[in-house]
Amino acid sequence: MMFQVLPGPIEEFLVVLEYWDHIFSGFLLTLWLYGWAILIGFFLGLMLAILRHYKLPYPLGIFSDISAGFIEIVRGTPLIAQLLLLYFLPYSLNLPIEKWSFSTNFMIFDKEITLILLNRRTLTGIIVLGLNSSAYQAEYFRGAIMSVGSGQLMAAQSLGMSRFSGVRHIILPQALRRVIPAWSNEAAYLPKYTVIVYLIGVEELFAEAHWIVAKTFISLTTYIVIAVIFLIMITLISKLLDIVHKRTAIPGL
Amino acid sequence: MWKSYDDLDVLKGVSFELAQRDVKVIFGPSGSGKSTLLRCINMLEPPDKGEVYLSGQNLMESKANINALRSRIGMVFQHFNLFSHLKAIDNVSIGLRRVKKLPKEEARERALEALHRVKLAEWADHYPAQLSGGQQQRVGIARALVMEPDVILFDEPTSALDPELIGEVLQVMLDLAKTGTTMVVVTHELGFAKAVSSEMLYLDEGVIVERGTPEHFFTSPKSERVRRFLNQINILYGTHEKLFEHSKKENNE
Repeated sequence: MMFQVLPGPIEEFLVVLEYWDHIFSGFLLTLWLYGWAILIGFFLGLMLAILRHYKLPYPLGIFSDISAGFIEIVRGTPLIAQLLLLYFLPYSLNLPIEKWSFSTNFMIFDKEITLILLNRRTLTGIIVLGLNSSAYQAEYFRGAIMSVGSGQLMAAQSLGMSRFSGVRHIILPQALRRVIPAWSNEAAYLPKYTVIVYLIGVEELFAEAHWIVAKTFISLTTYIVIAVIFLIMITLISKLLDIVHKRTAIPGL
Repeated sequence: MWKSYDDLDVLKGVSFELAQRDVKVIFGPSGSGKSTLLRCINMLEPPDKGEVYLSGQNLMESKANINALRSRIGMVFQHFNLFSHLKAIDNVSIGLRRVKKLPKEEARERALEALHRVKLAEWADHYPAQLSGGQQQRVGIARALVMEPDVILFDEPTSALDPELIGEVLQVMLDLAKTGTTMVVVTHELGFAKAVSSEMLYLDEGVIVERGTPEHFFTSPKSERVRRFLNQINILYGTHEKLFEHSKKENNE
């Protein structure tokens, strides 16, 4: 009522902004999901890439096949199917489902913000996003490892270094530098993939947007606000990775 | 030793022995198995059949500690294979640090000494990509040298170099030979072979066709194949007569 003198779009914008506490808590949860997913994806992906590329001696060679299989299955099925599968699995197996949650409360400008950091839904979301990302990251890592070339490992081994030590001290430092431009793709995709967990009731940015739309009937403006938040976030991530790439560049290369 | 890849027999029973301070030169046409032979010696490509002894220890035995044995066999590669993320000094010291577990300071000191021997001490803090091919190969030699190996294997050390850079690498190798380093050198630098080799082996189609002193090869090779090959090499590369004469003069002095 109070904005009636303003043109329509600006008035809508101001109404949406009144729910800034919801947008803010949604944003924090999105960051939280993203952080864990990219971290899990990084370490698991690196392990998968190494296992897939460097065949272990018999009988451990089976791990190479397992990682290759895992990567192909995850990349070959829809993320939404993976999410729903993991979410409903305990129900199908008739496992007892207990209610539990870890949350945090804080006040900003007289508004109380409650963040559910971990409950069954959020945990499922983090695990699915992390596993999914690990398969994609693994392939980026594998490509970078291959581009370093077998001569480097051969030289390391000729000095008496074990294969493991050669991979750890010679291959990985080079592969991790080389992977940054390609890997930044995954870093930029993943924040947008996190919105899918709103389907299982995690109140991240997109879920909060839905809630605001239901409450105010202002859809376009709400979604534009959310889109701009994503845009800023991803631009910052790319810039950050650019800086890391430049700072870690090998002189002369 | 014997080695084949699928249907391709690369080494068909090659056998030779190496005494301390020997410099053995292996030469022969492309695809004759020279590089494979070197890689079989330090098990980078394990032979299918055969025996490799280093001071009485069989490297082919399953209980042999292959990493420890490899640290006693240096290797210099055709394409240098320097660790591109490490400065020259760290390329040389990493073997001491990771294999011989020397403390940082001592490893650095000994690496500097080795770089000094290849006349690159003032380039210690440059990265491989900032060095010329000849300098890179000399770092490669220092990297092998610093481990104080019983023998150093050279896999066509000058064939990837621009012509004007070959001399500096050969000079370093001549110095090593004169100070009593045991070497197996795959090369077509006949001047080098003439100057320092105790025996030359002509390898073709996976067997040693002819072996003998440099004098034998340059005056009266038995096989027609060898004679034709030497002629072609002479036309292409020359024999670095100047280097040979220079080295002889130095010896006389």
